[in-house]
Amino acid sequence: MNTLIYTSVLGFGLMVLEVLKLRKWISPAIILGLSLIFGINIHDWNQPGSYMGNMLEISNFTVAFNALAIFITLLIAMLASEYYSDEEHHISDYMAIMTFVLCGAQMMLGYANLVLFFIGIETLSISLYALSGSKRFDAKSNEAGFKYFLMGSFASGFLLFGIALMYGATQSFDLNKLAEYAMGTSVSPLFLTGLLLVLFALFFKVSAAPFHFWAPDVYEGAPSIITAFMSTLVKVVGFAAFYKFLHVFGYLIPVKFDWLITLVAILSLVTGNLSALAQENFKRLMAYSGISHAGYLLIGLVGAAAFPSSAILYYGLGYSLSTIGAFAIAMAVFKSTGSESISAFNGLGKKNPVLAACLTATMLGLAGIPPFAGFFGKFYIFSEAIQNGHFYLVLVGILSSMIGIYYYMKVVIAMYAKPANETKIEISLTNQLVMWLCLVLVLLIGIMPSLVTGLF
Amino acid sequence: MNPITNPESTTNWYLFLSCLLFSIGVMGVLFRKNALIILMCIELMLNAVNLLLVSFSAYSGNTDGQTFVFFIMVVAAAEVAVGLALMVSIYRNIGSIDIQSLNKLKW
Amino acid sequence: MNNTMNLLTMITPAMMIPIFPLLGFLILSLFGKKLGLMSGWIASMAILGSFLCSINLFIGLEGDQQLNFSIFNWINSGDLQIEFGFLIDQLSLIMLLVVTGIGFLIHLYSIGYMHHDEGFTRFFSYLNLFVFFMLLLVMGNNYAVMFIGWEGVGLCSYLLIGFWFKNPDYNNAAKKAFIMNRIGDLGFLIGIFALIFHFGTLDFIDVQNQLTGFESNAPILVFITLMLFIGATGKSAQLPLYTWLPDAMAGPTPVSALIHAATMVTAGIYMICRSNLLFALAPYTLHIILIVGVATSLFAAIIGIKQNDIKKVLAYSTVSQLGLMFAAIGLGAFESSLFHVMTHAFFKALLFLGAGSVIHAMGGEQDIRKMGGLSKSIKITFVTFLIATLAISGIFPFAGFFSKDEILAKAFEHNLLAWALLSISSMITAFYMFRLLFLVFYGQFRGTEQQAKHLHESPISMTFPLMVLAILSAFGGFFGLPAVFDSTHQLNVFLAPIFNASKLVTTEVHALSHSQEWMLMGIATFAALMSIFFAFSLYIKKQQLPENDADLTGFSKIVANKFYVDEFYHKVFVNPIMIISDLLLVLVDKLIIDMVVNLTAIIVDALGRLYRLIQTGSTGFYLIAMVLSMVIVMFIQIIL
Repeated sequence: MNTLIYTSVLGFGLMVLEVLKLRKWISPAIILGLSLIFGINIHDWNQPGSYMGNMLEISNFTVAFNALAIFITLLIAMLASEYYSDEEHHISDYMAIMTFVLCGAQMMLGYANLVLFFIGIETLSISLYALSGSKRFDAKSNEAGFKYFLMGSFASGFLLFGIALMYGATQSFDLNKLAEYAMGTSVSPLFLTGLLLVLFALFFKVSAAPFHFWAPDVYEGAPSIITAFMSTLVKVVGFAAFYKFLHVFGYLIPVKFDWLITLVAILSLVTGNLSALAQENFKRLMAYSGISHAGYLLIGLVGAAAFPSSAILYYGLGYSLSTIGAFAIAMAVFKSTGSESISAFNGLGKKNPVLAACLTATMLGLAGIPPFAGFFGKFYIFSEAIQNGHFYLVLVGILSSMIGIYYYMKVVIAMYAKPANETKIEISLTNQLVMWLCLVLVLLIGIMPSLVTGLF
Repeated sequence: MNPITNPESTTNWYLFLSCLLFSIGVMGVLFRKNALIILMCIELMLNAVNLLLVSFSAYSGNTDGQTFVFFIMVVAAAEVAVGLALMVSIYRNIGSIDIQSLNKLKW
Repeated sequence: MNNTMNLLTMITPAMMIPIFPLLGFLILSLFGKKLGLMSGWIASMAILGSFLCSINLFIGLEGDQQLNFSIFNWINSGDLQIEFGFLIDQLSLIMLLVVTGIGFLIHLYSIGYMHHDEGFTRFFSYLNLFVFFMLLLVMGNNYAVMFIGWEGVGLCSYLLIGFWFKNPDYNNAAKKAFIMNRIGDLGFLIGIFALIFHFGTLDFIDVQNQLTGFESNAPILVFITLMLFIGATGKSAQLPLYTWLPDAMAGPTPVSALIHAATMVTAGIYMICRSNLLFALAPYTLHIILIVGVATSLFAAIIGIKQNDIKKVLAYSTVSQLGLMFAAIGLGAFESSLFHVMTHAFFKALLFLGAGSVIHAMGGEQDIRKMGGLSKSIKITFVTFLIATLAISGIFPFAGFFSKDEILAKAFEHNLLAWALLSISSMITAFYMFRLLFLVFYGQFRGTEQQAKHLHESPISMTFPLMVLAILSAFGGFFGLPAVFDSTHQLNVFLAPIFNASKLVTTEVHALSHSQEWMLMGIATFAALMSIFFAFSLYIKKQQLPENDADLTGFSKIVANKFYVDEFYHKVFVNPIMIISDLLLVLVDKLIIDMVVNLTAIIVDALGRLYRLIQTGSTGFYLIAMVLSMVIVMFIQIIL
């Protein structure tokens, strides 16, 4: 509750700072503010409660994912202060909108009412439409923003329709009442249709195939920093919200819709991994990689009630840190070379061995190779799936992991085996800091997974 | 006395109407090429939902649905604002708002 | 209450023990280039820190107290819970003191020994990493942590043997060590899996607690112990996997002293002592261990007679002494084995460091035929080397006498044949060690003019460790005075909590009477003196020199060529594997696998190229695809 309020205040505060002509203070303010909010959030640990007429519910689940979301935003804000350093007059807009994305994310994590869920999704999405199209004079960025906007608001329409149908069946938006209804003997088709439509919208948000079409285009066109933000925060929060939703309807969804989640998981794995193979653009590659990761996580959500939420947290943490670490390096490379294709990394191993080694580590982490966090993340998901008897899913998962290694290695091969070009790569201190932070954490939780999985 | 609250069949009529409106909106989004019209069709979809919510609300005598409609309107307005801004910026860059011209990002 | 508080305060020093060398490693590998010669001191200080913490623990733990704590929950899979935790008890304390104490001295020594080398910082960072893994090995409270340490020391050993990696021979030696160890590790790993499968835990104490219900010689126990023993034969260089150790002498001499004499090679013995109850319940395995130990001891001792490289002699002597320790384990005398581990660490480290000092003085020469008469020019080295030689030969009252005598006495109690063979092996040991001593330090100098001028005593940083180790080699035996001297065997008393349980299950043979013990000591000393005299008459009186390899005939030729074991392995294992692998390469790999793999890759790649085309870039298409999939899903849902 407090977390959400202070985050909103921080967002407005940043805009006020601009008005007061304190532009220099915006980056420090957001970093400091987010750190404080992180602490305020942690303070809610083990203090469950519900607020605003049972709209918002705080549990350890919420606090843990909030902490992750705030941490991701903090890392991105640090990178952003560097990324936007040559565009100072807009920095308050970007930073404030990012904070509002975080607000939306927190609503999506803590919702106990479909109204708040909808408002959370929309706050997050509308802010991201604006951010994706924020390079105003770049046709690609415009296109990305507009495509995202069109498809996103289209999906919101279905989400709303679904919510309305569920409301029609139950006369309530309250999750507890909905769950109660779903547990009853007769569930009206109205309600099931509504549930299905909400599921579609959630599939859209986490970019699972066949609702993934927006992701590659938007990731490629959006400014790199926003790509990093979207691919980590939105995915993690989307999955947390998804998990919560499945958990609420734990008696209904596994019976009715397991086949759908299974199908979407397989489709996402196939689509993500196959399409990633032939990509030349690094951001597009990361988009397809994100689609495949959505597939892995969906494997975990098949028969969701049994799956521990801490495993999603762990996977999300490992995935986000690896991705942000990779982007911290990639953004420096993009800036120096002026290209966003994989060939921009050519010869990095010779020019800048430390960066190359770190990028290799993040790629290995994403591919799920020990000792990085990605390994145990996948391990938990696969072992859970085997225990539930979904061998075919695990088979698909492992096959696609193998394909995954191929395209992650493409980046590594470019760095070590391709001849270097002349441009020198300069990486700022902030980026280095973020990079090391991500790497150390990924290694740490990769070696000691119980740090995260033992939380709850 | 109130035609909406009384016979059940009337609600069904509202349900059909809003479904129809929603479908018109969806079809418009799918098959029109002009971004502005697509935007309007999305609005149509949202308003179809509003109608649905209001009629459910009136039928059941629960006001939650009607309150939600206000939220939806606010969100829709915000969405339109961002959408129009993006559209203007696209028009300035490529001189067209035909969504078929938005095809630089693919594969 | 007071006790538990006391234990809790000791967790911090216990944690610090492995952290110091790890920090040292990190600092050296990150900032090594800037530190230059400082890095040697940083590395040494790190080990000194660990040593002081170990002493702190040694003083702090009283009686049978032990410190067992978990740092974090490491692997959590189904029913299996493996914690990353440490167990500090009397057994690990002894090992900790030996590893950190001798480790520190050898680090100090290396500062002088390696100071010309361009890989100075790299050397010390590896050395610190080695100590870190060795500490994990001896501190872990379960087999998994031990295995991490086990593999880690193997890795460091590989890195350090091949330290001068520009020489392909050295690289081959490193690879050989790695592969030989890997064969053993496979056994160890199978043992660990069998433990998980059968006991559901890897925790030492849990396993031990579950053992109460087992019959002696239960098949599963015999299997597990045999597998663990195979692991031990690899790491501790026993027959048939010993051949890597002599080749490992390619590494810098301090490495040979630390890794291949004092610490890593005794890991196998530590592991068995750690699982002593397991082994005590499997007398079949103990019997096999006894046979292997005695055979190794004798075999390596015989090879040692004909070696002419100063470090190779010591290497074979190490193999032989390790055989002796395994024989002790085979007799069920775990604490005697550990006693010998300790004294052996003292005098063998001293021998290697002394050899290093000799090599240093000779400007890199290792062939004893080209030395001689060095006692005049390098006095400290000579005196300390002499003490170590007396100790290893088992001359009263030096350290080796007591530990060796204890093992021989145990052998006499249990198995006369083993006693006879081990006695012969000890005699041979005394002979070749004095042969080495006489050839190196007495007689005429046989090297070049240039070397004669170069001869000099090593710097103080090298001689100081020699002196400390010489004191330990001379008096280290008093930790475990035998019963005839009418004092308590301090080491046995100290270790009693560890081995009490296994004492109960091994068959007790009535102890030797005092007169028998006196007699045995007399025989052993007499035999050693005889050997020394024999060596004296050959190499001092008659001034004999070892023949060149080409002139050797008959049995001595076979011995000088190490019984052709390497050649045998090469013919029987390596060559056929090479031929088969060549065949497989052409047939299976090139033809089938490459085709399958490449074809798969091509197909997958082509699929990818096709599949990405779905992403047409047209928003209209995306929306239609989304709506169509929704419609299809709803349709299926209705049918379902």
